[in-house]
Amino acid sequence: MNSLERVAATLSFRTPDRVPVMAQVFGHAATLAEVKLGDYVRDGALLARCQIHALEYYGYDAVFALMDVGVETEALGSTLTYRDNQYPFVQSYVLAGGVNLDDLDVPDPRRAGRMPEILKAASILRQEVGQDVPVVGCVMGPMTLATQMLGIERALYLAIDQPERFAHLLDFAAEVAIRFGLAQLEAGAHLPIVFDPSSSPDVIPPAFYREFALPRLTRVFAAFKQAGSMVNWIHTAGMAAPILPFYPQAGVELANIDFSVDPQQAMQTLPHTCLDGNIKTLAFVEATPAEIAAESSRLLKIFASRGGFILSSGCEIPPESKPDNIAAMVLATRQPG
Amino acid sequence: MDSPTHDMMDVLVQALLDGDRSLSVSEIKRLLAAGVAIRQILSEGVEVAMAQLDAKCTIEQFNLLEIMLCGRAVMGIMKELYPPDMPVPHTKATVVVATLEGDVHDLGKNILKMVLTASSYRVIDCGKDCPVERLVDTAEREVPLVVGISGLLTTVMPQVRRVRQQLAERGLGHIKVVAGGAALKQATAENLHVDYIAQNAFDALHYLDDIMGGGQ
Repeated sequence: MNSLERVAATLSFRTPDRVPVMAQVFGHAATLAEVKLGDYVRDGALLARCQIHALEYYGYDAVFALMDVGVETEALGSTLTYRDNQYPFVQSYVLAGGVNLDDLDVPDPRRAGRMPEILKAASILRQEVGQDVPVVGCVMGPMTLATQMLGIERALYLAIDQPERFAHLLDFAAEVAIRFGLAQLEAGAHLPIVFDPSSSPDVIPPAFYREFALPRLTRVFAAFKQAGSMVNWIHTAGMAAPILPFYPQAGVELANIDFSVDPQQAMQTLPHTCLDGNIKTLAFVEATPAEIAAESSRLLKIFASRGGFILSSGCEIPPESKPDNIAAMVLATRQPG
Repeated sequence: MDSPTHDMMDVLVQALLDGDRSLSVSEIKRLLAAGVAIRQILSEGVEVAMAQLDAKCTIEQFNLLEIMLCGRAVMGIMKELYPPDMPVPHTKATVVVATLEGDVHDLGKNILKMVLTASSYRVIDCGKDCPVERLVDTAEREVPLVVGISGLLTTVMPQVRRVRQQLAERGLGHIKVVAGGAALKQATAENLHVDYIAQNAFDALHYLDDIMGGGQ
């Protein structure tokens, strides 16, 4: 099996030749290639080159056309600050400076901000790996983009003080996600993962998730599926256990679980949903290869009888991670038992 | 406390727990008009609400939104009780908080600030993207009981490890260092060279209260 076939078999709960490993290597690909992170997140061709280099180095089962969480909000008019060896961060939020939502258009991914560079990265990666390895794009979930357009505190207060306006903002954010995700699919990505850390129960209560986030996520995933996305993959950081029951309704088919989610509990809650995770991200920086191997082995055993599992980190593998630790995770899937 | 005052205080506590800022402020005005002392409003209203919120927020069930709303209501009544020209008194101790250079995710720090302020601590906020040197300068000037650092990114960890050493070099080794936030709470206190890793804002509050009580 090649990586794409291995992942596809796992997603449909068939038995793959081995458990796939989709290491969430984003900026670490720049570190590995000794490229400045600040350059990596602005140059789609450079990003693709680094991703291919990391794929060849580690031999895992996916590549990512993914820069950082600020791509969409920047395309909408937020100002970002760039530094050489950090991810960019929002300096001023587009809706915090007097701009009205009604004055904004859903950005054209072929022209707006760094979106074209993401499309370029997806296109190059697909040319490089063809139908051998999944090419994963990325969009922000509507809730997360809303917090990125207004600042998280303002956005949450708006949700409480003026829920209709907040709902309108979420609808707009969902349109941004759909248009950007469809453009990524058209450019060659097999799927866009949906990043939605602001929807974590660490931030909002499950009832808020059900009322505000769920209907928009459902719409986003339906659009991706209709456009031929390989799988609806979601990442929600933190203690997401209380919202896992909503995932099937949202159309989620692959759920990344963070280290703070109990894999057994996740399996019980989502018996028919593929799961990936959940090695602690800090472990890739601080632990030893032997510790990563032991944790990988533990997870592989937990999921051995059920299947529907992809070995991964619980969130992004930090850029400064030790390569030997990532290699240890990959190796664990090739040395079962 | 007579029964009508008791009832008004109950309304205030519930309004704070509901995060209803306008009702909280109007209840404060009613309590003041009824002759209730500010100190009593704080101890029997604000601190009672915070204690109830604390009891609700376990490590397994903790969401920022509820605390933010309560915190905003508390800040609203603090403004009413202590207009800008009147300093907010503190009965416990001073705490210096910061999000270190390279990290601009300061929601966790802001939540901590609200919880500590509402619990009668004086909080000096060094802001986000704060160099270690500025944090230590502030600590030298304010001589707090604790320095609190919040971090969402693992990349700030090397800076966190420098804080206690730099405090010690200026003769401030007695100041406790507490870290928290999504990235930092994955680590151990020993590994981060801090005195305590707080799992959330109330966990940090308990640690501070323990120190105040001589428990650490």
